[in-house]
Amino acid sequence: MSFLYRWFAGIPAYLWSGWGALASLFLLVAGWEAVSLAYGPLVLPDPAAAFDRLFALIDSGAAGTELALTARRAMTGLALAILVGSLLGLLAGLSLTASMLARPIVTVLLGTPPIAWLVLAMLWFGASDGTPIFTVFVACLPVIFIGALAGTRTLDHHLKDVATVFRLPWRMKLVDLYLPHVVSYLFPAWINALGNAWRVVVMAELLSSADGVGASLAVARSQLDMDAALAWIAAVVLTLLAVEYLLLEPIKREVERWRPVEHV
Amino acid sequence: MSELRLTGLAHAYALKTVLEDIDLVLPAGRILALVGPSGCGKTTLLHLAAGLLTVQTGELRNGFGRPAAIFQQPRLLPWKTTRDNIALGLKAAGLPRAAYRRRADAIGRAVGLDGDALDQFPHQLSGGMQSRAALARALVLEPDLLLMDEPFSALDIGLKAQLYRLLLDHQAARGVAVLMITHDLMEAVRLADSLLVMAPDPGRIVHRFDLGTPAAARDDDFVHRTTAEFLRHGDVRASFGLAPRVSPAATACPREIGTKVGAGGTAQVLPMPAGRKGLAC
Repeated sequence: MSFLYRWFAGIPAYLWSGWGALASLFLLVAGWEAVSLAYGPLVLPDPAAAFDRLFALIDSGAAGTELALTARRAMTGLALAILVGSLLGLLAGLSLTASMLARPIVTVLLGTPPIAWLVLAMLWFGASDGTPIFTVFVACLPVIFIGALAGTRTLDHHLKDVATVFRLPWRMKLVDLYLPHVVSYLFPAWINALGNAWRVVVMAELLSSADGVGASLAVARSQLDMDAALAWIAAVVLTLLAVEYLLLEPIKREVERWRPVEHV
Repeated sequence: MSELRLTGLAHAYALKTVLEDIDLVLPAGRILALVGPSGCGKTTLLHLAAGLLTVQTGELRNGFGRPAAIFQQPRLLPWKTTRDNIALGLKAAGLPRAAYRRRADAIGRAVGLDGDALDQFPHQLSGGMQSRAALARALVLEPDLLLMDEPFSALDIGLKAQLYRLLLDHQAARGVAVLMITHDLMEAVRLADSLLVMAPDPGRIVHRFDLGTPAAARDDDFVHRTTAEFLRHGDVRASFGLAPRVSPAATACPREIGTKVGAGGTAQVLPMPAGRKGLAC
């Protein structure tokens, strides 16, 4: 209850602090407009045209449907990656042998470009939903795995001694010692993976699906419709910004209140 | 009567022997200080007593039922408020939330942490406040055995004096047995009933001093004088790697110093019987 209260109470101050971010975003849009004025709308349409198109897409309901479809694929892949990656990472972290074994494999997975996985996925799953979901899953898995592994491996043995001396029962050790520590590693990895998932799903759809934001981008490309292409890009980026800064960032602030504040 | 008894205790990390033939007895209500240079196995000895290390050789019998420990660093859980950190042991013992928070508040105030500090997270507290919280976390359990690993070594002298007072008051009121390790001779002389001097390579007890005056009755003068006496002692100097004193007193055998100090009625130095590396308290 106090969590919800603090969350809502914190929103005005948090949004107010967003003016700086907004200002820098508007600078970017201004740069965009400058390039568009210099090279003409054939190379880069001006922001107003792109946003007009975006509002038209939203009004017609197309944007909502396609975004929802893309989001469903991205979230399914991400949820699977979170489930499998967190579990395997935690288990691997418990054993030194397992973590040493896992490290090179994870490096291979991280080094494999998502586009390579996409080719394999297209061969395995064809044009079904399976292709983007699998690609997202594979692209997010190593990031989450590493977060979970680091979380279990870096637990301060000094704090374990405290738990032993003060005779913490196993349930308390889990809830008061291991979980908060591991979550402090896992949560940033999840957020990282979310950004990854959102990028990868659009790419996968562009090459393999008949619907979704990626497919709409592919249509815009084939019709040389720059306004629509930019409108879809704006839709994808704005959705990610909204989720990250309105939902995840406040949660992160709340669960990591105990951390010393790092000034950027 | 409960006691902590170590008999012929030895410990090795891989091939390096860090403790050899340790004998000591700590009865209820006594304060025993282990002094010695860094690396003489003091911390290992304390960890054995706390059950953090498995006994390899010898015997360790701990008759105390409610041990608590204070470590060299405060070691507070960074994601818990000061209040919840202090209450950690009470929560582990299964006390209901309201009860353990009330007791944490009371002991927190006793060690000088106000309501604001109790609501804050450890990183928001100064080093001295964190040390107070660590002390409170141990004292709130009303332990019958308190193990302390140089808990005051990083604090300024004013804060040290305050925490000594808190500890001694608590000790006098509850009769807790304390095993403390320190490389600060003055600290040991201020607090302990008995001092065991340890020497390194391998860690062993080379000398034992008993202080006659009760800790509460010791003033700064006494502490300075007695510490100076100890520092003249050959075994103490050798243990800390100090050069033997060149003045005539340095060549004196321990028995002579013992007589001199003992005659003052303040402290008594007992020479070790040959062939024994430790002594009962």
